[in-house]
Amino acid sequence: MLTTIEKILFILLALVSAGFTVHGFKTIIDTIRMGRPAPELKNIPASLLKAGVTVLFQQTIFKARKVLSAIHMGLFFGLITYAFVNLVDALEGLVPNFDLIYSGKHLSPPAWTVPLINAYNLISDVMSGFLLIAITVFLVRRFIVKDKALAYRENVLLNPKVKAGGQAKDSLIVGVFVIMHVSAHLMSQAYRLTEGADPFMPIASFLNSIFGASQTGVHVAWWISIGWVMFIIPYLSRSKHTHFFMAPINLGLAKQNPRGQLDPAIPLKVIDGRKYDPGAKVITDLAWTRIMDAYACVQCNRCQDVCPANFYGRPLSPSALEVNKRYLLKEATFGSHPDLLLAPLTETVISPEAVWSCTTCYACVRVCPVGNEPMADIVDIRRRMLIDGFEIDSGVQNALQSLATNGNWMGKGKRLRGRWAKEMEFPVKNATEEPVEVLWFVGDTASFDERVIPNTKMVARIFHQAGLDFGILYQNESNAGNDVRRVGEEGLFEQLVEQNMAAFGKAQFKQIVTTDPHSFNTLKNEYPQFGGKFEVKHYTVTLLKLFEEGKLTVKNKLSHYKVTFHDPCYLGRYNGGFTAPRKLLELLGVEFHEMPRNCENSFCCGAGGGQIWMGKVAPGERPAENRIKEALTTFERHPNEKKQLFIVTCPKDMVMYSDAVKTTGNEGKIEVRDIIQLVAEAVGVEEVSQIVG
Amino acid sequence: MNIVVAIKHIPSIADDLPVKGNNVDFDSVDFVLNEWDEHSIEQAVLIKEAVGGTVTVVGVDLIGELDNALHLALAKGADKVVKITADDPAADSHQQAKWLAEAIKGMGADMVFAGVQASNDIDGQIGPMIAAYLDMPYIGGTSAIEVSGNTATVSKEFPGGVGMKYSVTLPFVAGVQSAPKPPRYAPVSKVRQMAQTATIEKVAPTGEASAGLAFKKMAPPVATGHAEMIEGSPKEVAAKIVELLKSKGLA
Amino acid sequence: MSNDVFVITEHLDGKFSDVSFEMVGKAKELAKALGGQAVAVVVGGGVEANVFASDSTIQVDDAALSQFNPEAYGKVIEALVKEKAPRVVLFGWTVTGMDVAAWLSARLGVPCAAYAKDVRVEGGGVVVSCQAYGGKLTAEVAPEGETAIVACLAGSFPAEAGQGATAAEKIASPVDLSGLKMKFIEMVKPAGGDVDITAQTKLVSVGRGIGGKENIELAEELAAKLGAAVSASRPVVDAGWLPRTRQVGKSGLKVKPKLYLMLGISGAPEHLEGMKSAELIIAINTDKKAPIFNVAHYGATADLFEVAEAMLELL
Ligand SMILES: Cc1cc2nc3c(=O)[nH]c(=O)nc-3n(C[C@H](O)[C@H](O)[C@H](O)COP(=O)(O)OP(=O)(O)OC[C@H]3O[C@@H](n4cnc5c(N)ncnc54)[C@H](O)[C@@H]3O)c2cc1C
Ligand SMILES: Cc1cc2nc3c(=O)[nH]c(=O)nc-3n(C[C@H](O)[C@H](O)[C@H](O)COP(=O)(O)OP(=O)(O)OC[C@H]3O[C@@H](n4cnc5c(N)ncnc54)[C@H](O)[C@@H]3O)c2cc1C
Ligand code: SF4
Ligand code: SF4
Repeated sequence: MLTTIEKILFILLALVSAGFTVHGFKTIIDTIRMGRPAPELKNIPASLLKAGVTVLFQQTIFKARKVLSAIHMGLFFGLITYAFVNLVDALEGLVPNFDLIYSGKHLSPPAWTVPLINAYNLISDVMSGFLLIAITVFLVRRFIVKDKALAYRENVLLNPKVKAGGQAKDSLIVGVFVIMHVSAHLMSQAYRLTEGADPFMPIASFLNSIFGASQTGVHVAWWISIGWVMFIIPYLSRSKHTHFFMAPINLGLAKQNPRGQLDPAIPLKVIDGRKYDPGAKVITDLAWTRIMDAYACVQCNRCQDVCPANFYGRPLSPSALEVNKRYLLKEATFGSHPDLLLAPLTETVISPEAVWSCTTCYACVRVCPVGNEPMADIVDIRRRMLIDGFEIDSGVQNALQSLATNGNWMGKGKRLRGRWAKEMEFPVKNATEEPVEVLWFVGDTASFDERVIPNTKMVARIFHQAGLDFGILYQNESNAGNDVRRVGEEGLFEQLVEQNMAAFGKAQFKQIVTTDPHSFNTLKNEYPQFGGKFEVKHYTVTLLKLFEEGKLTVKNKLSHYKVTFHDPCYLGRYNGGFTAPRKLLELLGVEFHEMPRNCENSFCCGAGGGQIWMGKVAPGERPAENRIKEALTTFERHPNEKKQLFIVTCPKDMVMYSDAVKTTGNEGKIEVRDIIQLVAEAVGVEEVSQIVG
Repeated sequence: MNIVVAIKHIPSIADDLPVKGNNVDFDSVDFVLNEWDEHSIEQAVLIKEAVGGTVTVVGVDLIGELDNALHLALAKGADKVVKITADDPAADSHQQAKWLAEAIKGMGADMVFAGVQASNDIDGQIGPMIAAYLDMPYIGGTSAIEVSGNTATVSKEFPGGVGMKYSVTLPFVAGVQSAPKPPRYAPVSKVRQMAQTATIEKVAPTGEASAGLAFKKMAPPVATGHAEMIEGSPKEVAAKIVELLKSKGLA
Repeated sequence: MSNDVFVITEHLDGKFSDVSFEMVGKAKELAKALGGQAVAVVVGGGVEANVFASDSTIQVDDAALSQFNPEAYGKVIEALVKEKAPRVVLFGWTVTGMDVAAWLSARLGVPCAAYAKDVRVEGGGVVVSCQAYGGKLTAEVAPEGETAIVACLAGSFPAEAGQGATAAEKIASPVDLSGLKMKFIEMVKPAGGDVDITAQTKLVSVGRGIGGKENIELAEELAAKLGAAVSASRPVVDAGWLPRTRQVGKSGLKVKPKLYLMLGISGAPEHLEGMKSAELIIAINTDKKAPIFNVAHYGATADLFEVAEAMLELL
């Protein structure tokens, strides 16, 4: 179809385009390689393949926003189809007399290919129409409706270019490209239809009925359609749409370690004898996989939607973090600011206040369709801030100091840890003095907080009644260090691990059980890296087993309660402990209703990652308050006279939600109880006095 | 500027304090750094950062466990640490102040800081005693110390938010109540690194001084545990409270 | 040596502090038991010093001593004590007394007992009860030797017994006050703005039991009558009934007033963290099991409104 001059022009253009594209991707790869070593990834080809399949079926985006995700899926398939369409278009231009109109009759194809050609014509034609509509929806959403989910809070640190609408510009360019490209393709087909309508090309035929056929038209439309591609491919490597290419790769190279295992503060693998300071100050201090995150980010803000800190009005947005990283990298590598690679992250990508607002709830990482880990960056930044002597919140500092001296964050003496046990009506074994079946790791809040101790004692009573051979470590137990690590105090974490490992070494036990999901997480996922070889169970699992083995039996069904259950982040999202508590509730016979945000989607209470230690409390609706309201709305849909309970399985939740019930003025309407209180009532152990304070 | 900080290792009051005979049972308590010493170290490091110089931290090692506190001081910015190897958990403030003064004498200190008080200062604080033994003037309860040339400007806190400013010619001893900034946090990894690399200078205790106090008894205060409940109708309760306040000069 | 009991009095801005009167009262009791005199020592120029019930009052009247200066005060007191050799010297364990008491003890080589809650004479000797280890233990100590320095915690004895009108004998400074290394520059008073609850000696603190913003006025009235300020627990502040500057606790301010009168506060650990060291805690709560009763010194199971209104009538 093309003239010789056109062909030469086309090849030159293609070469230039390829040059820019190669340069673009090489720059990206070089930039990613500047990052630190990441924890070792196993079976890369297999996981890339798996990611490819995932992307093909767009599985990960459906974790949130179902309708828009369906449209995105359409767009995605449209664009995949279009890669093929472009190939055919190129052949039409370069191979004389090549075209597929009218069942490909100009090529005199073998008969068996005719249905295929017709199918291709139909799909490409209809898909073009669909693409035009889908793109329009997305552009309208961004530019006319201005969907709030795509906006950032005023107080969130944003790259100046993002603030000035850089993302929108990107979207507009790509949107306009798709519209121009697809329309031009349709027109080039329409102009070809010299013999009237092709039943397998309804849209092109319709356009043909308006514009007629034209050789010049074919040439012009072809150049617009394919010429644009030559421009857009190199452009993509420089825009947010790099995610077309990087998302599948990023997903294939996503974190393989358990969710509950943080990357080390200093890479375990050292390259060229390089020395690393702990954590991250500048962008190249991040692991290479997390530099890649920025290129993979779709900038969809799904992570911001689920972020409890963002909800609470704090200046934290995990997506802004990725977007800022992306813009910083762009200006540093494609632009004229290489010095930005040495700029502190706390000045360029996330504000210090935002860094200290994260509850490490993992919701952002869980929801991200492309496998990004904004939370891991935040923890790395905290690590370095601590080392660099950045002034930290006084409450956090007090907690850390107490942890370093007393092994607990509450400023209580070590010796007082087992005091509650000494007040029991039966002896509680000291596991460092006599062998036990089950070592109960009690945790700080359950050991020291007067409001929670009645529940702690109840757990002991139930274990005792069930004949479980258990013991505790008394003053040998230290805080497990889960939140210490997430606050960024790696050294203190290691110290606590050593103390606890020494205590475990003195004890004889077969299994550890914890009442605290935070301790559970680190004991299970992180202690093994420090030589911990033990099985760890959350008490909900232990209780369930005791019921199943008939060691506990439900004497009184609790059908007079209407309850909902809050999945603690560190039990649920982190460790998949969704079923045991629910099965327990079922056994107990309560009327159970699920809150809309449950299991993987559970909403953080706001206490994790050291937030409970904060001395300064920001104004605004706290996540825990929002959660209590969610529970009440859930109950409203099932009106009856039953007593309404909010069931928790974490001592911190007990404190956070009891407070939230008060501050939202909902006392009398809903009561917070630990699941052990229900178990006690059901198996007929004396009623626990209600939480006070 | 040569600043010496004298610290005190004291029984932790986070735990219950068991008593043996007429004193604390020192074998069953944990020793910690006096909380005000954190402020005096911070104050010293702030001055060093402002005008240069060295910070030397010196303490009496009562039970052989002072090293951690000294490593902590190094991690917070001290340049040199010294321990007086006394091995006497019952050493009182007078005795400790004497040992400290003797150790500090040869250090050519421009300023000596101590925490304004400690919870076991039954015979008084070490700061003013060190001043007396070194024959230097003492000022306590400081909330900010700034140095310029041979003079320091010292802010001292009074009740009700009142502050007084003094100008003091070096050398002198100060009892620090609070540094102008909250004491910095020393990450444990830094402390551990100090533990591996730093050297602690050891000094034998010299000099003798005594509190001159005979301990007759040591015991927890008469248990309160629960509020004394005022019974009666609201009117009677009100009357009793008002009476109570009046008797204490509070109404 | 004499059997006199010296009281080193304290003044700020021309006014003597309560602890001075408290100690004079105590000194009279001790002097009687020891067979000596209670002598109030006033170091300071231009202060009206005829206010004590002491047996005698010595005023070192020198313009250089009008404001507290630890170096100058120390030297003057050292000279006086050396000259008069009293049996007991009482200091306040306060921002001023703390600067001199222990220094003097080391200078003169005489014992010092600090954190004193009580001083008494037993079998001719002096016995002091010291509140040690953050109040966790009480130590009974007997100072050895001829002179004993005792530094008394404020609020330990009644102040009335020390109030009187003994005429002060003015003397010149016994030491040369030139060439001091320490010079007073200025006094800085706290800036205005909302009440600084940390600087208040008395607080009426309200919790959710107060019920609503409209009832804050009742607390304000009671506070005004007591010369106190109003503080609150967090829920009260969260609800916007009082500004955040009034919040006591973990995420609020830490206070240590002489009186902390709590109306309808349950006593959550987060709140206790901010006020547990108040000297006198009185809690009114309708719930007899409220945890605050484990911490308060006095408590009453009663309705806060009824009690507050009844108190208003009596004050
Ligand atoms: C991380 C975190 C930080 C926190 N920080 C703080 C903090 O800094 N400061 C703080 O105060 N709290 C803080 N809290 C909240 C704390 O846990 C409690 O919720 C809060 O202190 C309770 O306040 P309250 O005693 O006023 O209310 P409640 O606990 O509801 O107590 C009200 C009391 O009033 C009594 N009452 C009711 N009516 C009357 C009446 N008519 N007469 C007499 N008594 C009556 C009731 O019996 C009850 O005991 C924090 C909580 C968390 C989780
Ligand atoms: C010269 C001078 C002047 C000072 N002036 C002031 C001042 O004006 N205002 C002021 O606030 N501070 C002042 N301080 C500081 C003061 O001495 C205390 O160090 C400080 O108030 C301690 O605060 P805290 O009680 O909150 O802390 P902590 O030291 O942590 O607690 C003190 C006590 O509370 C007990 N305790 C712990 N937990 C509980 C619980 N759950 N229930 C009951 N009791 C508990 C502890 O056992 C301990 O005895 C001054 C210090 C000096 C040296
Ligand atoms: S971990 Fe949770 S709080 Fe932190 S950024 Fe992610 S969603 Fe937000
Ligand atoms: S990090 Fe993931 S979830 Fe967040 S905006 Fe980027 S792609 Fe979306």
